[in-house]
Amino acid sequence: MSTAIAIEPPARESSPSGLSVGNHPSAGVRTCETTGLPVCLTAQQFIRLNAVIAVVALLAGGVAALLVGLTRWPTVHLLDPVWYYRLVTFHGLNMLIFWILFMEIGILYFAATTLLNTRLFSKSLAWTSFAMMLSGAVLVDVTILLGKADVMMTSYVPLKAHSNFYLGIILVAVGTLIGVGNFFGTLYIAKRDKTYIGSVPLVVFGATAAAIIAVVTLLHGAIVMIPTWLWSLDVIKHVDAGWYRLIWWGLGHQSQQVNVCAMVSVWYMLGTITTGAKPINQAVCRGAFVLYILFINLASAHHLLVDPGVGASWKIWNTSYAMYLAVLASMIHGFTVPASVEVAMRKKGHNRGLFGWLAAAPWKNPGFSAFFLSLLIFGFIGGITGVTLGTQQINILAHNTLRIPGHFHSTVVGGTSLAFMGLAYYVVPLIFKREFYARGLARIQPYIFAVGIVIMSLGMSFAGSYGVPRRHWDVQFAGAQFAAGFGSGAHVMLGIMGVGVVLAFVGLITFVLLVVAAVFFGKKIENRPMTAW
Amino acid sequence: MSIHVPEETWFKPPSGAERTWIGLALAWCLVLSIMMPYWHFKGKQNSTGDSYSVTPTAFGARVEQFVKTNKVGETNGIPIVEPSPGGDAYLQAQMWRWYPVLKLKEGQTYRLHVSSMDLQHGFSLLPMNMNFQVLPGYDHVLTITPTIKGEYSIVCNEFCGIGHHLMTGKIVVE
Amino acid sequence: MAQEKKPVEVFQKEHEHDEDDHHTPGTVVLTLALLVSFAVYYFANWKALADVWHVR
Ligand code: HEM
Ligand SMILES: [Cu+2]
Ligand SMILES: [Cu+2]
Repeated sequence: MSTAIAIEPPARESSPSGLSVGNHPSAGVRTCETTGLPVCLTAQQFIRLNAVIAVVALLAGGVAALLVGLTRWPTVHLLDPVWYYRLVTFHGLNMLIFWILFMEIGILYFAATTLLNTRLFSKSLAWTSFAMMLSGAVLVDVTILLGKADVMMTSYVPLKAHSNFYLGIILVAVGTLIGVGNFFGTLYIAKRDKTYIGSVPLVVFGATAAAIIAVVTLLHGAIVMIPTWLWSLDVIKHVDAGWYRLIWWGLGHQSQQVNVCAMVSVWYMLGTITTGAKPINQAVCRGAFVLYILFINLASAHHLLVDPGVGASWKIWNTSYAMYLAVLASMIHGFTVPASVEVAMRKKGHNRGLFGWLAAAPWKNPGFSAFFLSLLIFGFIGGITGVTLGTQQINILAHNTLRIPGHFHSTVVGGTSLAFMGLAYYVVPLIFKREFYARGLARIQPYIFAVGIVIMSLGMSFAGSYGVPRRHWDVQFAGAQFAAGFGSGAHVMLGIMGVGVVLAFVGLITFVLLVVAAVFFGKKIENRPMTAW
Repeated sequence: MSIHVPEETWFKPPSGAERTWIGLALAWCLVLSIMMPYWHFKGKQNSTGDSYSVTPTAFGARVEQFVKTNKVGETNGIPIVEPSPGGDAYLQAQMWRWYPVLKLKEGQTYRLHVSSMDLQHGFSLLPMNMNFQVLPGYDHVLTITPTIKGEYSIVCNEFCGIGHHLMTGKIVVE
Repeated sequence: MAQEKKPVEVFQKEHEHDEDDHHTPGTVVLTLALLVSFAVYYFANWKALADVWHVR
């Protein structure tokens, strides 16, 4: 393809009314040479800051992942128990919370400002949010590494960490909430200043859905973490274990829906950027996002399926009504996203057979491959395992086994994280304005990571089917009071998982190195479009 | 385009294959929804969450009482206890052991009370692979019927401190 | 970019305005494959569940 990327200039579809002049202060905006989109310079600064910290967290979490993964591989059994449990805690928080949240704040700022042609609502709010999130993340990481918070990211009471651990999490949560507020503020001024006319673009709609769920999520976080923090300071005497789990999963589960919304928005965006895809029916896509918002409120239930204290009818009701309509939404996106790519590719003349359009897709473009692999992994592995594990009675076979990390490494890692990596292949040239080095390596990076994560996920899932527990240092139970252990089948699966861990780590570290090299040492892109992938 | 303001007429009902897929997906979600109530009434494996509030001290006392009345032996310094079929059995989770060892009869039903003396623990029956959450303050009652003879181990699958991986117990089914 | 459709087709497309654009047999096969694997995995798990101890 000769053009840099296959986006048509905005004016074409949104016609005269689509984008107005915007509301940018003078010298507060530039026009992207590649896409023709307006870029608010304040937003650009904060997208950069958030993305950099996200990648640092990804690196930290990735190193921990390798060490933890090699410990779970019985043949290697690398770390001692103290550091194994410490780094599982560290990995969970750096990955699921810091890498993901910093990326998402960046995505929200981007979606609101660039796609609506508006300035960022408030620079000082952006600074406040960033400073709080960063200091919270540092506080959490330092507390963990000092050995004061070996409690896993779920920190189930009455297991107690140093109060700074909870304080750090509260700082991150409030900082994120402020960032989300800044996003809503930006939507508001865009509407007020009429920087666009009509409905917001689909990607902004999806981002808004993510932001709305994020607010609900973070409120649950506040409800549970503030008393727990006070408890760690001895101000409150008792926090009930069952209550904690109920509310904590209101945070923990719904934040996954934020990730799904953000990921699906990124799918739509990358589909458009890399193939010119256009949703067949916007009403369907938007309706599916609305389903996410409406039907996810009590899905924390599916983390409590074998808990005492909550009854069968509560468990069944909340998993069926809340979860399955959200599942429906994902199944809808699972159709509309590839269908939009198929339509676009067929329009370009790739009409041969059933899958000629897919074969002809730009698989050498890491933006596309990351996006499409993310779609496949999320649907075929993450979705199927998730719904099955979240079935009330089936959960008896799966609760707290390795099937659980097997599942979520194919949603939030093979799905969300991989999609975010794909996005980075455009963020670096378009927002940081730097060229990548080693473009050949960049082209294969999504494949390495995807294959590694798939192998690891399957290894975990099948090991878990034998009952192998998660968060567990020694599946041989050496020195335990009563002998326990697993047969060769489980050990083979753990070995397969180990191979996947190594491969996924190679994919991850390749990504980090490529991005760091490009952002700090890459050739500057000035007054010209990015080199096409 | 997904990144641009849509045409004014973007609102239209789904059609064609997309519409068929939405219908199929909805039907599948209904199947998923119906399976759980169906199994609740017809299936033999359900987690009803049956539980009662109890303090760790009170629970510990009940466990001791249970052990004293039903003890039939000892292994590794832990009593082996045989509850009467149809009756109550107790299992105490604490850092880092399951207490006592239980001896059950195949095909008999027991009300197994499980609770924790300290942190949260995870009851994981191997190699059967059945898993339940154990919380301090909650007497979690599992009405179980062992269906297969054998020796089973119980491991802990909720992180409960540095000895977590050493926390094992035993159930014998005859 | 090669537009290899017959002019007549293109003309019709323009007029029907997206309506007929929905020709996505590949995606249909892909999603049906998803549904089938979903059902297989899901019911295999019910089967596995039926084999363990009874519990209420
Ligand atoms: C190279 C990539 C990665 C590898 C090799 C990896 C590997 C692992 C392993 C081995 C575990 C421990 C399972 C256990 O022992 O219980 C784990 C846990 C976990 N991982 Fe990853 N992971 C990777 C990336 C990620 C990413 C990107 C995320 C989030 C976006 C993530 C989220 C988590 C979470 C939330 C846990 C659970 C921690 C806990 O149990 O508290 N991982 N991962
Ligand atoms: Cu334990
Ligand atoms: Cu434990």
